[in-house]
Amino acid sequence: MAKIRGSIVVNIERCKGCEVCMVSCPTGTIGMAKEVNGKGYNYAYPANPDLCIGCASCAIVCPDGVITVYKTKI
Amino acid sequence: MEKELRLMKGNEAVAEGAIRAGADGYFGYPITPQSEIIEYLMESKPWETTGMVVLQAESELASINMVYGGAGCGKKVMTTSSSPGISLMQEGITYIAGAELPCLIVNVVRGGPGLGTIQPSQSDYSQAVKGGGHGDYHLIVLAPASVQEMFDFVSLGFDLAFKYRNPVMILSDGAIGQMMEKVWLSPYRERSKTVPEWATTGKPDSRKRNIITSLELDPNRQEIFNQKLVKKYNLIRETEVRFEEFQCDDAEYLYVAYGTSARVCQKAVELARNEGIRAGLLRPVTLFPFPVERINELAGKVRLILSVEMSAGQMVEDVMLSVAGKVPVYHYGRMGGMIPAPDEVVENLKERIIGG
Repeated sequence: MAKIRGSIVVNIERCKGCEVCMVSCPTGTIGMAKEVNGKGYNYAYPANPDLCIGCASCAIVCPDGVITVYKTKI
Repeated sequence: MEKELRLMKGNEAVAEGAIRAGADGYFGYPITPQSEIIEYLMESKPWETTGMVVLQAESELASINMVYGGAGCGKKVMTTSSSPGISLMQEGITYIAGAELPCLIVNVVRGGPGLGTIQPSQSDYSQAVKGGGHGDYHLIVLAPASVQEMFDFVSLGFDLAFKYRNPVMILSDGAIGQMMEKVWLSPYRERSKTVPEWATTGKPDSRKRNIITSLELDPNRQEIFNQKLVKKYNLIRETEVRFEEFQCDDAEYLYVAYGTSARVCQKAVELARNEGIRAGLLRPVTLFPFPVERINELAGKVRLILSVEMSAGQMVEDVMLSVAGKVPVYHYGRMGGMIPAPDEVVENLKERIIGG
């Protein structure tokens, strides 16, 4: 079976730093940035991008539709 | 027109609510966590559709004084801000209350004191309810606990403001402002074409001059004016109390909480009942006027009352006054932008039960 690799893109300016995605990620891909966005929130970012399996749990739970998930077979 | 369902942020609901309530003007200055209100208004361009003016003032002081001016002309005007911005507005708010003008102020509270944090808090209760500015005045304070209420209370707030000629404040917090929920949008209300008889819009021959001021140099006359205000506040206390009860009928232990804390407590009541603890929740919807009588009534039926707030304990004082010593009243709160978890709230209640 082909292995699936994923990657996420976070719309930084729309993120309010609620950390729901971070908790929902089964592989610990997502972390909260030390830097803040234009509104002053610590935004979510792929802290360990290699671990992403493209399950899209984060995108489903995100209350603001901030995360886009891409999947590729390798 | 039929009702429309939309998924939106609490802040966006306030903005949409203002347009649909037939507001004439919005004056504000952006501050996290309520910047989406002015962003949404600027994006929807209501001046092209309903004719509502939207203006970003140079500061919070400017925006509240623009509201003062607009209200003096008998217009439906509003401003929004978050805690530090509302502190800046206090002078304007007490002047508006002193001049008996209607307006709507929305406070999307964040943690304090000072600049504090940008996360949700309820630490502005005393400022909103007891009067953050000087002088004997009160605002009518509405506390929404959902995005739907953020929308509904804009229209309700304007109605109350014009009914009593008194500023109304919607005391929300960062969590409700930022969360997204379904909202049933009510149809558009026309902007009012008539001007109230007290408004300063130029003197025709048919009436005397209208004067709007909060200044009186004669103390005798000022006292008469103050007594008139007290009479108005007492009327509001009698007629405008709003609250919501959740499983209070057979409750042995009562939570009192508003806004975000009430949502947490609702879950806590369910958790407690699963463990056989008969808990209930009373949620004040109006913080001024406070549901004094109902709390006093319930105090005769329950064993203890726990006031849950995201503050060091501000509403708990009003709860104690309402209970008047009938049962023990305790406070549980998180501060600085932290939100209590439901199990935390249940644990705290259990500790009180064993301890008491």
